[in-house]
Amino acid sequence: MFANFDFDVIERSWRYLFVTGMAFTLRLTLFAMAGGIVFGTLLAMMRLSSIKPLAWVAGTYVNTLRSVPLVLVIFWFYFLVPYIGAWVLRSDTPIQVGAFASSLLTFVMFEACYYCEIMRAGIQSIPRGQVSAGYALGLTYWQSMALVVLPQAFRNMLPVLLTQTIVLFQDVSLVYVLSITDFVGAASKVAERDGRLVEMYSFVAVIYFAACFALSQFVRRLQARIAVVR
Amino acid sequence: MIKISGVSKWYGSFQVLTECSTEVAKGEVVVVCGPSGSGKSTLIKCVNGLEPFQAGDIAVDGISVGDPKTDLPKLRARIGMVFQNFELFPHMTVTQNLTLAQIKVLGRSRDEALAKGLALLDRVGLKAHADKFPGNLSGGQQQRVAIARALCMDPIAMLFDEPTSALDPEMINEVLDVMVQLAQEGMTMMVVTHEMGFARRVADRVIFMDGGRIVEDALKEEFFGTPRSERAQLFLSKILGH
Repeated sequence: MFANFDFDVIERSWRYLFVTGMAFTLRLTLFAMAGGIVFGTLLAMMRLSSIKPLAWVAGTYVNTLRSVPLVLVIFWFYFLVPYIGAWVLRSDTPIQVGAFASSLLTFVMFEACYYCEIMRAGIQSIPRGQVSAGYALGLTYWQSMALVVLPQAFRNMLPVLLTQTIVLFQDVSLVYVLSITDFVGAASKVAERDGRLVEMYSFVAVIYFAACFALSQFVRRLQARIAVVR
Repeated sequence: MIKISGVSKWYGSFQVLTECSTEVAKGEVVVVCGPSGSGKSTLIKCVNGLEPFQAGDIAVDGISVGDPKTDLPKLRARIGMVFQNFELFPHMTVTQNLTLAQIKVLGRSRDEALAKGLALLDRVGLKAHADKFPGNLSGGQQQRVAIARALCMDPIAMLFDEPTSALDPEMINEVLDVMVQLAQEGMTMMVVTHEMGFARRVADRVIFMDGGRIVEDALKEEFFGTPRSERAQLFLSKILGH
């Protein structure tokens, strides 16, 4: 069955696939995760705020972005950000935004919605009395969040946050629609140049599977280890 | 020290507190009792502003709790509070629990906070447990750490919200002993509890609440001798009858 296949193409191109493609994918994943968790946590705090307008703004933002396919958001951002940037900076010409910056911004904004919902569940899992105890000791809202609630919420939610990051790692491949050379983008360039589509895409699938499977196994182990003693 | 005047509170249209007024003088120990749902926990949480109230006012050391201009965190730092479920921070060691607010709120140095924390931990008899996590302590031990944590802030008054209700019977006394000692040292205390033995031993006054109202506010001898209200008589006969 594999008689007509030429797997040598992988041997010839792996350096390019990993050094250029995978490096970009990992960089984007990690930065988007960090930004997404920070922004998502702020969104979660807004959604749980007793100040109604804040809760409404965050809720609307999250629900809107979650109702739109990621590919569309990537397109919009890529084409609109230069104009929005120009409008904000009152410049006459669209500003120059690199592919990395544009896609990073997109993923941070988009993934923040999912991280937000995870952190919201995490914050709500902390008994109300913990916040009261913090307040009773004289801590302010921000102190009791930063010192009491969020550390526990992160700990409780770490496995889910990492699972979402695995999804993010896969979603990053969508930047391929912007002709960015991520892992999939690099593979498709080689595939089309050498006419070896099946071999290359199979290889990409195997790598993704191996990476995600290993990560999810790691998450499972972690889950058992970090259960907080109450 | 604590002056509660005409406090009323509603959850939506349901009134949980109706025109509650009382006072706790400096060095006085006041026990608040009553059936569950009578609003006693809600009232004590109003004293340090953990629960907002819609009418009346509470002043602690002359500072109004209800006034929106009051710096609540600053005021709360001076009032110790002990909760029914201990509420130690489970992701921190005992020592970290004891020093956190001293460092972050009072701005004490780490060494100073640690010295204070360990001294108070020793006082509640738990010096050996300094580096443990709360989850590895028994309920009674956790509550004693919680009391030490509140005392670390050098409070001008202590609020206890059913401090022994979540404890196994054999652990209740170790916590009450600490509280009795505190009372005898002259700490101003407001204690919500069902422990009538404790009330008899150290309380100056007993407040009886029912249906969100203060039904009886009397000196201890009067309260246990001849409670004026029928409701308090019934309550006493039920919990002292066995």
